[in-house]
Amino acid sequence: MKKSEKTTFSKKKKIRNDIILAAVILVIAVAGLLFIKFTKVQGNSVVVKIDGAETVSYSLTEDVRYEIRTGENNENINVLVIKDGKAYVSEADCPDGICKDYRPISYVGETIVCLPHKVVIEITGNTTDISLDAVV
Amino acid sequence: MKKTVSIVTVVVLAVLQVLSFASCKATGKEKHTANYFDYFDTVTTITAYTETEEEFNTLCDEITTLLNEYHRLYTIYNRYEDFTNLVTVNDVTDGKHNVVKVDRRIIDLLIFAKEMYNKTNGKVNIAMGSVLSIWHTYRNEGLDDPENAQLPPMEKLREAEKHTDINNLIIDEENSTVYISDPLMTLDVGAIAKGYAVERICLYLEEKGVSNVLINVGGNIRTIGFSADENTPWKAGIENPDTENEEKPFIEYIELSGESIVTSGSYQRFYVVKGENYHHIIDPETLMPGTKYKSVSVVTNDSGLGDAFSTALFLMTYEDGKKLVEETENVEAMWVLPDGEQVYSSGFKDYTFEYEVK
Repeated sequence: MKKSEKTTFSKKKKIRNDIILAAVILVIAVAGLLFIKFTKVQGNSVVVKIDGAETVSYSLTEDVRYEIRTGENNENINVLVIKDGKAYVSEADCPDGICKDYRPISYVGETIVCLPHKVVIEITGNTTDISLDAVV
Repeated sequence: MKKTVSIVTVVVLAVLQVLSFASCKATGKEKHTANYFDYFDTVTTITAYTETEEEFNTLCDEITTLLNEYHRLYTIYNRYEDFTNLVTVNDVTDGKHNVVKVDRRIIDLLIFAKEMYNKTNGKVNIAMGSVLSIWHTYRNEGLDDPENAQLPPMEKLREAEKHTDINNLIIDEENSTVYISDPLMTLDVGAIAKGYAVERICLYLEEKGVSNVLINVGGNIRTIGFSADENTPWKAGIENPDTENEEKPFIEYIELSGESIVTSGSYQRFYVVKGENYHHIIDPETLMPGTKYKSVSVVTNDSGLGDAFSTALFLMTYEDGKKLVEETENVEAMWVLPDGEQVYSSGFKDYTFEYEVK
C-alpha cells in the first residue's frame, strides 16, 4: 500500500520538495551563522592572567565575584568583580592597591594590572564597538 | 533525492567557508599577545600578528632576551654578580665614586640623556638621583603604611639638590668609562631608560625586517609597521586622567604605524599624604611633583625621545613646551590641563580618529 502511494508522486512534486528541503537547510545554516556572529560581537570576555599565563575567563555578561589567588601558598588575593558588563577589582591585599584604583573596564584592549601579584585582567573579544591594541 | 541533499550540503558548506574566511584577515596572520613582569619594574605586553604561534613565541623570546639585557644594564636598584651596571656607577667606595668601565649601551644611554638634558632645558635630568631617591623612600613608606604617610622635608630635598649637576657625570667614550665626580651625586634614569631601550630593540627588529609588532612597556608604546596588514594601523586609546569618570574611559584614539606614543600622568603612580595625591614626576626646580597638567601624551617616531619629552613637557609651561614640540621634527603632543581641557600641537590630530561610542 505505502509503496504504491510513493510511486504516485509526480516527478515535479519530488523536485519541489527537494527545493524546499534545500531552502530550509540553507536558512538554518545562515541563521546559525548569524547567531554565532551576533553572540560573538556581544560576547566580550574577561581574561585573568597570572604571570602571563591565562588561568580563567568569564563572559562580561555574567555577574561574577572571583578571588584571584597568587603567591606560593595562594596567600595573595585580588577580588575580580564583573557587574553590569564591566569588570573591576573590589579588594586586594597588594602593597600599592593600584589595581583597585582602575576604573571598571569593558572595552576590548583595556586592562587592569596588579604588578606586585603579577596579575593582568584583560578584556578580549571582537566587538564592533571599541577595540584597542593598547592603552596609554 | 539523495543527490539533491548532497548538492545542498556542498552549497551550504561552501557558503559557510566563504563567510568564515571573510572574517579572517586577508594576510592569514593572527593576533597574539604575551605579558611579562620582569623588566623595568612594570608590565610589558608584546602584541604581534604572526602566521603561527611558534613564530610569535620566537619573536617574544628575542624581544625579552634583549629587554632583559637592557633591564640589567639600566637598573639602579638591582645588583648582579660579576656584572657592571648603573648600580656599579652609583656605588661609592672610600667616599668616592669609581671610574667604571661599562657596556657600550650604557655609554649610549648616558650620551642620549645629556642630549635630552640640553634639549629640555634641564627638565630631564638623570643626575637627580639624590633627590629622587628621597621621594622614592617616602613614597614606598607611604604606600606601606598609608596612615603615617609623610612628605619629604624640603630642607632635605634642597640639600640633595646641591648634588644634581649633570656636568659632574663624566663620560669617556673612547675608553668606555663613566665617572661621577661628585661623591654625593647619583644617577636615576627612570625618565628615559625604558623608552630608550624599547627604541633600540625596535630599531634592531626593523633592520631584520620584522613587522606587525607592538611593544608596550608600562605605557611606553612603540609599534613596528602596521598591525594586521598594510591598511590597518594599530589603535591605541589615551586614558582619561580623570579616573573617576566611568562614562569616558578614553579622551583620544590614536592610529599608529611605526610610531610611538608615551603618556606621562599624575594619575599613574602616586601616594597619598593627608588626602592629597603626590605623583612621581618631580620638577627639578620646585623639587615637588609637577602640577601644570593632568597628563601629557607624546607621539613620535622615537620612543626614547617620546619618553623623555613626555616627562619634560609635563614639567614645562605650555608656551615653552609647545615651542619645543614645534621646533622638533616628528614630535606631536597633547596636554590635558588641570580643568580637563585638551590642547594640542599643530599635527597631533593627524594621528587621532573617532570611535562612535553608543
